[in-house]
Amino acid sequence: MPNRVAIVGIGQTYHTSKRPDVNYAEMTREAVMAALADAQLSIKDIEATFMASMETFEAIYLPDHEMAAEAGFFGKPGLKVGTGGTSGASVVAEGFYFVASGLYDVALIIGSEKQDCGDTTAAITAAATPMWGKGATTGAIGEFAKQALSYMKTSGAKEEHAAMVRLKADRNACRNPYAHLKLGLKSVEEVLKSPYLVWPLRLLDFCPQSCGACALIFASEKRAKKISKKPVWLVDIETVHQEVFKAGVFGDPTGKETYAQHVACERLYKRNGITNPRKSIDMAEIYEPSNWEEMNLYEHFHFCGKGEGWKLIEKGVTEIEGEFPVNPSGGVIATNPIGATPTIRVAEAALQIRGDAGEHQVTKDVKTAMASALGGPNWTVLSLLKRSL
Amino acid sequence: MAKKKVKETTEKTPKKEEPEYIRIKFNQPRRYDWSTGKYLGHFYAEAKENKKIMGTRCPKCKEVLLPPTPVCGKCKVATGWDWVEMPQTGTVFQYTYLVFPLWDPHYGERWANPYASAIIKLDNGVFYRHFLEEQDKEKLKEGMRVKAVWKEDYNERGQGPGDILYFKEIGKE
Repeated sequence: MPNRVAIVGIGQTYHTSKRPDVNYAEMTREAVMAALADAQLSIKDIEATFMASMETFEAIYLPDHEMAAEAGFFGKPGLKVGTGGTSGASVVAEGFYFVASGLYDVALIIGSEKQDCGDTTAAITAAATPMWGKGATTGAIGEFAKQALSYMKTSGAKEEHAAMVRLKADRNACRNPYAHLKLGLKSVEEVLKSPYLVWPLRLLDFCPQSCGACALIFASEKRAKKISKKPVWLVDIETVHQEVFKAGVFGDPTGKETYAQHVACERLYKRNGITNPRKSIDMAEIYEPSNWEEMNLYEHFHFCGKGEGWKLIEKGVTEIEGEFPVNPSGGVIATNPIGATPTIRVAEAALQIRGDAGEHQVTKDVKTAMASALGGPNWTVLSLLKRSL
Repeated sequence: MAKKKVKETTEKTPKKEEPEYIRIKFNQPRRYDWSTGKYLGHFYAEAKENKKIMGTRCPKCKEVLLPPTPVCGKCKVATGWDWVEMPQTGTVFQYTYLVFPLWDPHYGERWANPYASAIIKLDNGVFYRHFLEEQDKEKLKEGMRVKAVWKEDYNERGQGPGDILYFKEIGKE
């Protein structure tokens, strides 16, 4: 049986669109220092470091080499991972595997992205295979525009529902000191006045480009209880790959595609005896690049029945005070430093379990939480966190 | 009196100085040289030489794979050299309309803006993604019958999927 793995340190930078005051390494260091301070550990206690970055966004290749000193890599074992949008969760999986294996007892996990260095949408567009991509890619925005269209058609959701998701995200982000976009949006009408980027996606419907980093410290069971009074157990992780870009990626108009989310959920829920996720799980931090995709993901993760995602938002189920809060942090639509985005989902879920989320702590008591990541052609990583084993 | 007070307060507020951060810019194009490989290479060759859209077929599930691949990802079996020619007419299954300008990943140039991108259901039921000629959002609709328009100049072809300029509405010649 693998070793139990706990999160014993959580740290992040504030997130914003530009950080001209620091370079990539210095910015990453801020999150590392915050996580070490949270765990009351020194970098000398860390046995191995793991990092996530989408190098093409900065055009800083091998960033783990560049920041060997600043982020604590120097002289330590570890690996850097880049799996597109899921990078920041793949690194969580990576750290989980190593600590669970018994190879290391204390590991540092870092997700970091400094998007003011380059043009992320160009980099994402170029991430499609150059031999096939041109006729097929419309960047992440185009893919989620198609998803929105499919969702509208199959579920009967209206633009107003998408606007309500955006309002929820903004209300929550305004309560989160680390969040990037805090717009103080007041009404559905205000969101619906936002200009189109890619029809039917509006500027306010889509995630921003942020600079920021998030670091976690993982420890094995025997060390975790000594390090932290409130260890959060990372009980399981599932990661599922998807094929290249075909007809519909995030919203399948053809009805023929296999959804990575379904496969991931089926495995994770089955292994952990979850038959009704709304009952067994208390809240979720999900990777929603757009408000439309959030409603779609409610359905994919079986938080509700098919075609009912928009009803959850209409009934306020997923609000901070709701029965099943989703993204009390404000989510990806408010804050999106891509390599760190999925790491933040895990960090925020862990903060909710610890009861340390401050202003955006959910009303209900969180004993179990799920964090999701989404990227590339729908690659999916799911993490399940618990307060007690 | 009140007015004067406000003015004084404004004057007293120290103006926050923005420090001068040093940044380095890089604007050079980079050279890349990709190999198409055997299967995509065949797709490219057929597009350039014969203006044909070619896909492979999985021997197990019989699904036509576009882009063509040597292996069916779902069945995990080799597709062999079983090529299927696609019809060049189809129906707009879904479309979107890009207002936000994107970069061409091949050449590092901005694409024309705005433009329509669509999922087209070719007449054999295979889904293909490409651009539409029609740029007027009001005239775009699902179910529109379209056909492929190729680059006529042989020397301009050789860009695989890019050898098709766009799909054009049938009956609008």
